[in-house]
Amino acid sequence: MKPRPKISGTLLALGWAVAVAVAPGCGRSTGTKTAEPGAAPAQRLTIGVSLMNLSNEFIVMLHQAMLARAGELGVALIVTDAQRSAERQVQQVESFIAQRVDAIILNPCEVEASAPAVDKALAAGIPIVNVNSETRTPPTAFIGSRDEESARLAMEYIVQRLGGRGNIVMMHGFMGQAAQIKRDRGAREVLARHPDIKLLADQTAEWDRAKAMSLMENWIQAYGEKLEAVFAHNDEMGMGAVIALEQARLKPKVIVASVDAIADALQAVQDGRLDATVFQDAKGQGGGAVEAAVRLARQETCAKEVFIPFQLVTRTNAGQFLQTVSRP
Amino acid sequence: MHPRNIRPWLARYGLLLALVGISLALSLAKPGFLTVSNLINVVRQISINGILAVGVTYVLLTGGVDLSLGSLVALSGVAAACWAHPGEYPVVVPVLIGVLAGALCGAANGAVITWGRVAPFIVTLGMMTVARGLALVISGGRPVSNLSRAFTTLGSADLLGIPVPALILAAVALASHLCLRHLRVGRYVYAVGGNELAARASGINVAGVKLFAYTVCGACAGLAGVVLASRITTGQPNAGLAYELDAIAAVVIGGTSLSGGVGGVGGTLLGALLMGVINNGLDLLNVSSYYQQIVKGLIIVGAVWLDKRSTK
Amino acid sequence: MGVLESADVVLEVANLGKSFPGVRALDGVFFRLRRGEVHAVVGENGAGKSTFMRLLAGLETPDDGEIRFRGRPVRLRHPHAARQLGVAMIHQELMPFLDLTVAENILMGRERTRGPFGWVDRAAQRREAQRLLRQLDVPVSPDCRMRELGVAEMQAVEIARAIGCRAEVMIMDEPTSALSERETRALFRVMGDLRRQGGAIIYISHRLEEVFELADTVTVLRDGRHVVTGPVTAFSRQSLIESMVGPPKSRIAEPKSRIAGVFGGHDRAANARPAEDAAALVVRGLSRAGAFADVSFAVHRGEIVGLTGLVGAGRTELAQALFGMVEAEAGEVRVQGVAVRLRSPRQAIDHGIALLTEDRKHDGLVLTLPVMHNLTLCGLDRCSRGGWINGRREEAVADALIADFGVRIAHREQSTGTLSGGNQQKVALGKALLPDPDIVILDEPTRGIDVGAKAEIYGLIRRLAQSGKAILLISSELPEVLALSDRILVMRQGRLSAALDPRRATPAEILHWAMPE
Repeated sequence: MKPRPKISGTLLALGWAVAVAVAPGCGRSTGTKTAEPGAAPAQRLTIGVSLMNLSNEFIVMLHQAMLARAGELGVALIVTDAQRSAERQVQQVESFIAQRVDAIILNPCEVEASAPAVDKALAAGIPIVNVNSETRTPPTAFIGSRDEESARLAMEYIVQRLGGRGNIVMMHGFMGQAAQIKRDRGAREVLARHPDIKLLADQTAEWDRAKAMSLMENWIQAYGEKLEAVFAHNDEMGMGAVIALEQARLKPKVIVASVDAIADALQAVQDGRLDATVFQDAKGQGGGAVEAAVRLARQETCAKEVFIPFQLVTRTNAGQFLQTVSRP
Repeated sequence: MHPRNIRPWLARYGLLLALVGISLALSLAKPGFLTVSNLINVVRQISINGILAVGVTYVLLTGGVDLSLGSLVALSGVAAACWAHPGEYPVVVPVLIGVLAGALCGAANGAVITWGRVAPFIVTLGMMTVARGLALVISGGRPVSNLSRAFTTLGSADLLGIPVPALILAAVALASHLCLRHLRVGRYVYAVGGNELAARASGINVAGVKLFAYTVCGACAGLAGVVLASRITTGQPNAGLAYELDAIAAVVIGGTSLSGGVGGVGGTLLGALLMGVINNGLDLLNVSSYYQQIVKGLIIVGAVWLDKRSTK
Repeated sequence: MGVLESADVVLEVANLGKSFPGVRALDGVFFRLRRGEVHAVVGENGAGKSTFMRLLAGLETPDDGEIRFRGRPVRLRHPHAARQLGVAMIHQELMPFLDLTVAENILMGRERTRGPFGWVDRAAQRREAQRLLRQLDVPVSPDCRMRELGVAEMQAVEIARAIGCRAEVMIMDEPTSALSERETRALFRVMGDLRRQGGAIIYISHRLEEVFELADTVTVLRDGRHVVTGPVTAFSRQSLIESMVGPPKSRIAEPKSRIAGVFGGHDRAANARPAEDAAALVVRGLSRAGAFADVSFAVHRGEIVGLTGLVGAGRTELAQALFGMVEAEAGEVRVQGVAVRLRSPRQAIDHGIALLTEDRKHDGLVLTLPVMHNLTLCGLDRCSRGGWINGRREEAVADALIADFGVRIAHREQSTGTLSGGNQQKVALGKALLPDPDIVILDEPTRGIDVGAKAEIYGLIRRLAQSGKAILLISSELPEVLALSDRILVMRQGRLSAALDPRRATPAEILHWAMPE
């Protein structure tokens, strides 16, 4: 009986390795916008985009803003989803470099672990723009908002509503992510300035609404009447807290503030269920990132850092934001 | 008591003892634990995991496994939410659609496992990613919100002081207990899990029984998804991540063997309760969630190890 | 004489005994093996040959007696210990590493390595494997995966492995059962080489002509006891067979009278097949590749047909085909005159056929279920209505079966796994008979059961026949077959070789028809 040749097995393995290496680059090309009919082919720029996680509503809004702006400017986007993995993000950027794109837009997963992507792009001479979050290596340009500011806005609002004294609990996002670290820092700055505001407890609910609900229910059991305010790092968790408090009939007594201004939260603010949210301008960030990338690709001047301000949303101004945020 | 006599007694009541023991310890550490409102809180929190656990009990009893539970929860939640906007359809429609979505996926699992002869681990692993992808496709990546009041009361209302999700869990558990102990098909589930060859040689339609088990499990996952969507008032495509691990842990702690043929719904409920009590207690004591993970893992392994020793 | 003898003796066994639950497999066995000797061990199924070999190879530990290797007593606690002493065994049931190559299997445990880390030298492995395979004239490449080989080739590789171990004592359990003529010749040549180099070989076989060709000495075992040992030249085929089965008269009489005394006489004359009764089961030309070929017979109401033969003759496969567990590829089966296709056990049960499987633990009982649930498993539809099980009816049915079959348990909710072998077999029997079948196939019904329970089961079988059921009794125990059957069929290598009358046939005659020619 002849032995099966070993060569085919090795070839198969090699071919598979090649496919895997190329795949992330091809990945979820969820939006390859073609150029306007009038644009000359030589002028059409290609920009590679690596987004942190397309299962996150804010990132989805960022994505749509980018597509819209790219359509207006007549550039092509290759969009990939890193699905929260910094490693995958680095691979995606490497494929962009191999494809010789004109510029890269990076929505980083992590401050440290996504930095190699920036290093590689800079080494290859391709301009790279960070949007929304930072990496340790400074990119060619940064478009985003200062997360500390968002936390500060929300916390200041709570302090003001409580009249300078009271008990508060804080819900964190995924520990270690840039947004969580920054918002925690911002919140603690405000706490330091107001010693009569006491932080009873803080825990992570991992950006998740259901986890936040359970956590809130348990806090209600633990602290009962002592609870006066809740600050959540994002709206999903804020909504979870609101629902739990409503069921325990502790609303509207307990004040809840969170960050993001997703559609659900804006509606809740207008209805008086959620006390405040902080608007993060996805359109401004997404559109701004595309603009910056295009300018850099055309070797025009571009500001190194653009900080788009957050805006506090309360019942008074919720209506105008509702109109700007598109509903599904 | 002669040491040898403790073993069977420990096997039957060991879990209950552990539950009572941990509850007492927690109530000493935190007086707020053993209050009616907190206990109701605990029961409300274990409802979704409990429904999943009861469903997967069928599958584990046949000697199989289902890793797609979490994704089915997300898919059915999203599917139900799409039909639950205010003023559109009676609330029965989204509920049925959610359960049906879960049941269809479960049936698909069962069909590939029996007729395709592919291992349950692989098939349900595949369904895990497929269902999650479907949920993202249907929802466009964003949570489906704006749900009718009628729909959200399922997850938030109380009936006679008991949360509706807990009542749903009780109903599902009771029905499953009756099925497994008193229905012919329930008996066949135990036979297939205990010795598949002997079951076939006894004239049992093994493929049909397995299909039944996976479909029921999927339907329970669908129901759990509907209850979750109702509770958090949105259909979230990202819901349910890693829920299958907690569900299977509850079943295994409750005494159902991973090789099949032994166990039941009562044990599953106790297992879910034990996990809920621990989660709740650690939250009340404000233990960091990292330590919570470690404690949970140790307890799961410890419970199974004790169970193995007591039945030797 | 004494000094020379003891210097030559490689392996010696004194008063060796081994019991398993309910059965004394070996009792007071003496054995001596010399250098350069081929020593054959023969006996019927169940005589204790395999147990004896397993003790020598370290797979079991003896309860009594002593094993001496080169004059020193040894304790073989596990196979590795035996291997280190220089005992290699070629099993009857092959256990190769299917996904590894032939070379890796042959050199398992004695890999050719280079350097301090145990880096496998593939080239050297292949050369060594090639050398051994060539010695045996086996046309297999050392780079093939074991999975791709046929049974005969796998056996040849197994032999190459054992030979490569350069063991001083080689135990071969039915080594030629799957080999072709050419490979057998090659094996004999190798055995001759081994013997010349001073190795000793213990050879178990049913093929008496091989024994006469190869062996120097032959030992006969019967019922776990040592019967006779002597130079092979001192025996003829006839005398050897007679030693294996024992003196003719006493064997048939003993079990029959014991059974007859307990449960009433079995009037064989009355049950002699009446010619005018239509047969309950008619099998014509039934075949299944690799298992059995062209099997034809009939079983009538109230008749017990005994089917006997050696292990591997195809009896169990035939039983499985008649019960729908596997499908026959050709031929016809008629139940009560109607031709049927048996594709699943459900269909067989619906046609009135019941099977008591060969291995109750494997596919007869669900050991995790309580006794009551096992008993009612085949006929739950009788105890239920519309899918709901009527608990009281089930209990009544179970109690009736427990009483009928004399199952000794504390409580019907007891887990079946806790029962003794005999009681488990009764439960399996009751379970199979609940659907009230017309045709009952019993495959080794008294295997692994103590003497008392055996007698009870014989009584049950007789009662079944008397109540009009058609019974096919498959058994390797000749006294059992002779005592119970109205007719005996002998199966040999997948075909029926003889139909005998139990009143006139002797165990020696049956064994003659059972053994390969």
